[in-house]
Amino acid sequence: MDLDRRHFLAAAGAVSLPAVLAGCGFAPSSSSDSQPSGTDTITFTTWGTDSELAGFRSAISSFESANPGSKVTLNAVPYDQMFTNIDAQLQAGNPPDVFRVPYYTFGSYAGRGQLLDLGPHLADGFSDRFTPQAWAAVQNGGKAYGVPHHTDTSVILYNKALLESAGITSVPTSLDQAWTWDEFAQLLQTMRDKLPGSRYPLAVNWQGNGVTRWLSWLFESDGRFLAEDLKTPAIDSAQGKEALDFTKSFFEKKFVPQNNSVKSTKLAADLWYGQTTAMTFGGAFLIPDSEKTLEFEWGATFAPRNKRSAGDFGGNALVATKAARNPALVAKFFDHMTNADQMRAFCESASLLPTRADLIEKGIDFKVRPELSPVFVGQASSVKAQDSGQVASPSMSKIITVLKDNLEAAFVGGQDTAAALSSMSSGIGAATAS
Amino acid sequence: MTASPRRDPVPARRRGARTGSRREALAGYSFVAPNMVLLLVFVLVPLVWAVLISFQRTDGFGTGRYIGLENYSRLVTDPVFWRSTANTVLFTVIVTPLSMAIGLGIAVLLNSVLPARGLFRSILILPMAISGVATALIGVLIFDQDTGVLDKLLQSVGLPAVAWQSNGTAAFASVVLVTLWWRVGFNMLIYLAGLQAINPELYEAARLDGANRWQQFRYITVPLVGPSSFFLLILNVVYSFQVFDIVFVMTDGGPENATSVLVTYAYNNGFVTGDQGYAAAIGVVLLLLTLLFTVLRWRTSRTRDLVE
Repeated sequence: MDLDRRHFLAAAGAVSLPAVLAGCGFAPSSSSDSQPSGTDTITFTTWGTDSELAGFRSAISSFESANPGSKVTLNAVPYDQMFTNIDAQLQAGNPPDVFRVPYYTFGSYAGRGQLLDLGPHLADGFSDRFTPQAWAAVQNGGKAYGVPHHTDTSVILYNKALLESAGITSVPTSLDQAWTWDEFAQLLQTMRDKLPGSRYPLAVNWQGNGVTRWLSWLFESDGRFLAEDLKTPAIDSAQGKEALDFTKSFFEKKFVPQNNSVKSTKLAADLWYGQTTAMTFGGAFLIPDSEKTLEFEWGATFAPRNKRSAGDFGGNALVATKAARNPALVAKFFDHMTNADQMRAFCESASLLPTRADLIEKGIDFKVRPELSPVFVGQASSVKAQDSGQVASPSMSKIITVLKDNLEAAFVGGQDTAAALSSMSSGIGAATAS
Repeated sequence: MTASPRRDPVPARRRGARTGSRREALAGYSFVAPNMVLLLVFVLVPLVWAVLISFQRTDGFGTGRYIGLENYSRLVTDPVFWRSTANTVLFTVIVTPLSMAIGLGIAVLLNSVLPARGLFRSILILPMAISGVATALIGVLIFDQDTGVLDKLLQSVGLPAVAWQSNGTAAFASVVLVTLWWRVGFNMLIYLAGLQAINPELYEAARLDGANRWQQFRYITVPLVGPSSFFLLILNVVYSFQVFDIVFVMTDGGPENATSVLVTYAYNNGFVTGDQGYAAAIGVVLLLLTLLFTVLRWRTSRTRDLVE
């Protein structure tokens, strides 16, 4: 039959329909793995730097080799979308079996019945491999809901040329010789006097969810924000006042830029990268990028101490969702991911810190700037179980908001210390009560 | 016998007409049904769901607990909610008239004989094609108070740097300026279309009667782009009430809630703090404000249908 206009248009429409549907997102994505089948597969969702993702892939590969027939499907997503995706999947009832979670977010999931209690599935004595502070960070109500995969903590990263221009020629080389708060304040004042007005001595990495790093100053004074019961607010105390007064002075005395406050979208590391500040607090995860991109010579030293040294228990845990299809396989996977060889390989290549006691005792060497490893490992040893256990509170996401609002008011809003502590105390009380 | 054949066709025509009308109506409803289903599933159901959530205390996991109007009574005493509302209203009151006025001004210029006007139009319309987040990231490059282009420029000509992140007023201004850059092109485009529908004979007659350029603009141009203004006013207000991505990326509500707007506040409560009931209540209030404005504008506009 002759091809007339009507038939031609119909044929053209039929040919273009797949393209239209693909444009609407109906086409199967070639980049996603096929749907996991059966119960011998674990779905694992995480974000990560290139080094971290490479470490995960390597560990998964060795796990699959050691467990023929088992498969781990890795789903790598950008950090910004990670937890809105996870929350949506949990609410919809189709979460991954395993996902990665920061310690300060862990409590929100564990405390609300979303995670698998690993106790029945892990071998006796499993927890002995970890440091007490690491194991405390994955507990809720006395039960283990995850495994501490790695940690990180903040030390001082410094620009050597800017320090020398301020007359500072040496930095502490051991944890117990770290600058005291008084020495640190004196150092900052010296730098303030010597540096031009548009440059600053320091930037602190307490932006956004990193506001938990302010708690390190509280811990350095032997203070707490939650009492032993992990519900009663404990921040309105002499130690709280000491920590808040000290950190407020960073803004009052122009030791830090005004846009270094907790709600700023400008990260501390960016202030340091741009040489606006001579020093910044930063974690080991910054080492690969810093080494690759910075044009100035830089080093690392220990955070200052007050009554004691302390640090933030950063880093991430691996957790399983309550609905994980094969808990025994998940437990095996977690055991594999936290064995000594795997943890060492992961942490050394990604510039992160181990949570195993034996690795911390022996020390590790980062692939990039290995001579900096002892500074970070040493600083991490100053974190105590009583510190990380507080940050594992299920109310932590609300407490973070309370800290952000009140520290911002104190740092750049002129709110006095007593009012800020009182407001934080009542805010924390409301958070743990709800 | 001759009368009988004439009577037969009449009932057939009437029956056919009624059947045809019904058939056409059915066809119309059938064609519009897919759109109505989409609207129902993606707008109405989520809307009702959000209203229900706003009466609950829930973090989104499992079923929430109904607490009546507790989320709304909490709103009334929440200083950050009122600050966010005030910021949203202020942002709207500033951005809407400025973007419309600038858009109309540029449209009038580009509607005349001008060398390379196509190029100018393209340059002005280009920001509209960029996503909000990309626009905000460009804003960060310009307004960063330590390494941004603008402060470096100011200092190079001897002017003091502005604290675009740590000063509340300056932070708010930076968000307004970036939004204007993004929105003016769209306003210009709509006004350009409106201007081209105005009969040139009106201007010719006005000139013959001695009207100057300003009078021509004031008495002919402005009233006759009434339909465009009506459309743009609603669109700009609704957009400004829902501003999120530029604030989120550039300032995230800081410093000290100086740039917190209702949607960033709702987002932070719903997805950062995990208090979804409260976030839904904020969303419902925002919806009511938007509906109220739209209804008021619809009822009060006198020039929306003015045409020549």
